[in-house]
Amino acid sequence: MNENRNWKKSLGAIADAFAQPLVAVVISLFLGAVVIVICGENVFTAYGAMIRGAFGNSFYINDTLKRATPIIMGGLAVCIAWRSGYEAMGGEGQMILGAFCAALVAYYLPLPGILRILLAMLVAVVVGALYSALTGWLYEKFDVTFIISTLMLNYIANYFASYMTNFVVKDPESLDINAVQTGKIAAEARIPAIFSGSVHWGFVYALIAVVLVYFLFKKTSFGYKSRMNGLNSRFALYGGINARRMLYVVLILSGAMAGLGGAFEALGSKYRYIDQMIFTTGFAWSGMVAALLANFNPIGTAVASILLAGLSTGGSAMQRSTIIPVEVCNMIEGIITLLMSVRLLRIAQKNHRVRKTAKEG
Amino acid sequence: MTISIEYLAQVFNSTIRCMTPILLVTLCASVCSKVKVFNIALEGTLLTSAFFAYLTQYFTHNIVLSVAVAMLIAMLMTFIMSFFIVQLKGQPMIVGMALNTFALGFTTFLLSMIFGTKGTISDPSVKGLPKINLPVIRDIPVVSTMFSTLTIIDYAAFALAVVLFIIMYKTVVGFRLRAIGINESAASSLGINVKRYQIIATTLSGSMIGLAGCLLSLGSVTLFIQNISSARGYVALAANNLANAHPLGALLSSALFGFTKALAQVLQNTAIKQQLLECIPYIATIAAMAIYNGIAKRRAKAIKN
Repeated sequence: MNENRNWKKSLGAIADAFAQPLVAVVISLFLGAVVIVICGENVFTAYGAMIRGAFGNSFYINDTLKRATPIIMGGLAVCIAWRSGYEAMGGEGQMILGAFCAALVAYYLPLPGILRILLAMLVAVVVGALYSALTGWLYEKFDVTFIISTLMLNYIANYFASYMTNFVVKDPESLDINAVQTGKIAAEARIPAIFSGSVHWGFVYALIAVVLVYFLFKKTSFGYKSRMNGLNSRFALYGGINARRMLYVVLILSGAMAGLGGAFEALGSKYRYIDQMIFTTGFAWSGMVAALLANFNPIGTAVASILLAGLSTGGSAMQRSTIIPVEVCNMIEGIITLLMSVRLLRIAQKNHRVRKTAKEG
Repeated sequence: MTISIEYLAQVFNSTIRCMTPILLVTLCASVCSKVKVFNIALEGTLLTSAFFAYLTQYFTHNIVLSVAVAMLIAMLMTFIMSFFIVQLKGQPMIVGMALNTFALGFTTFLLSMIFGTKGTISDPSVKGLPKINLPVIRDIPVVSTMFSTLTIIDYAAFALAVVLFIIMYKTVVGFRLRAIGINESAASSLGINVKRYQIIATTLSGSMIGLAGCLLSLGSVTLFIQNISSARGYVALAANNLANAHPLGALLSSALFGFTKALAQVLQNTAIKQQLLECIPYIATIAAMAIYNGIAKRRAKAIKN
């Protein structure tokens, strides 16, 4: 009897973990469909174009995976920080600086190709980690809440990178005077494609990072401690956790992930830093949504990241073949997040139970 | 560059114009934090109401209606925010970020569907809020510059700060609202319907964001740019923190941020590049919070010892 109940309970937990995102996605796609109908387009044509544009053939799939790479890294950054109780949203700024610095190192340093790539990624990791640690320092020393410091630092990073690409390290070889970008990275210093015409190795590295973070969470004492810190920081303190060290280790790890994600985008996809390239694409925000959808499980985050990347590459395809602008996808993303913020099913179950007892009573 | 009195008066004037939208949003934030509803949907609410203010004015040329629509939209967004947080127990950060993501997508979507652009929309036939020229002041040379091109909402913002102070600290309703913030269960044991108070108070305070939205798209300039709010909602959150959620403190803190924004505008014609000037308000936000909270922290420590 007891065993039976346990079995039922764990099955219920799994169903709960999958059902919630599913319900959220279905509701938001339905609302998206309403918008499409109001715009006077056929829902099936529009969503069909979206699905084809996301996963229709190998070209589109590779495009989606390319876009998913920085989203996964941004998602991991959020997983690490939020799971430990630090609601930091600085992934965007860290990613911008990571991409920018990696692009510069890979362009300017006169080193053999492979060394240049490694060094570029290392610099991105360090810069991302430091920028993230800065928010920790502001929090620890001056009580500046993460939400303020991280959001402000995102804007500062974007304007700084914009200033640098406009006036200091602007592409010297560019023919187009209006192109605000750094120089194009030589072929040997780029992250290569896995095979010709496919997504770059950065995607594989991102998946490796996912597995590493998964093991870090599940199999190490650090993973346990950080979780405890996130669930109940006072209990964690009582349990002998060095809160200060936890804060910095978590933020540095998180920032490193975001910085590396920026490096993947610069070295593997765009081969340079283009002004606003992280800011307008919203990689970090999509990563955050992915992490929320997966309830900060790294593997789930990767899956959700690929789906969200598909939503946006598909959205661009839909924009090309219908009159619906791609921003519908941002709306859908927002609604999914909103619905994920509450435990919908649990509330529905509770209401059901309450009604049932009321009836019986 | 010579600094004349006239020049300083201009700086004062643009400080006021930069500060009032932030002040109005800060006032909403102060009500929300008084009743313990953590609202970071301010940013998205501001953006959406700025858009609808412009949209309504574009189609109806009726300024009163435009302001009303902006206020209603802002109240609706704030209601959704507080309903999800208070009633459905959603995580406040996630609810807020979701609404902000939605708002950016929604406004850009409508911008592109209705006006066929994703950048800036400005139409000379759209009239902004009427500028008020106070009878006596407009004849005094320097003072007239200080108070030129202000709209009725700019003046209303200051009045609202005082009104909100009176409501919060001098009335029974205000006392109850503050009680909720201080101790929810004690308030509820006094027979206060906590959830209802929270939702109604936040929703009503959302109307002030609507006014701020009008100032952005129909105030000193009459246009709508994608993401026109540009983090003002988050800056207001910081301003509210500095003000300790006090309506009169909000006057000071939002003046500080208004000044940094004005400073960035004033320095535009100097050698310093635009991109670096844009950073000033954000750096000032962090610096102000670090200084203020740092002092408060040290003082708390000193008391403890």
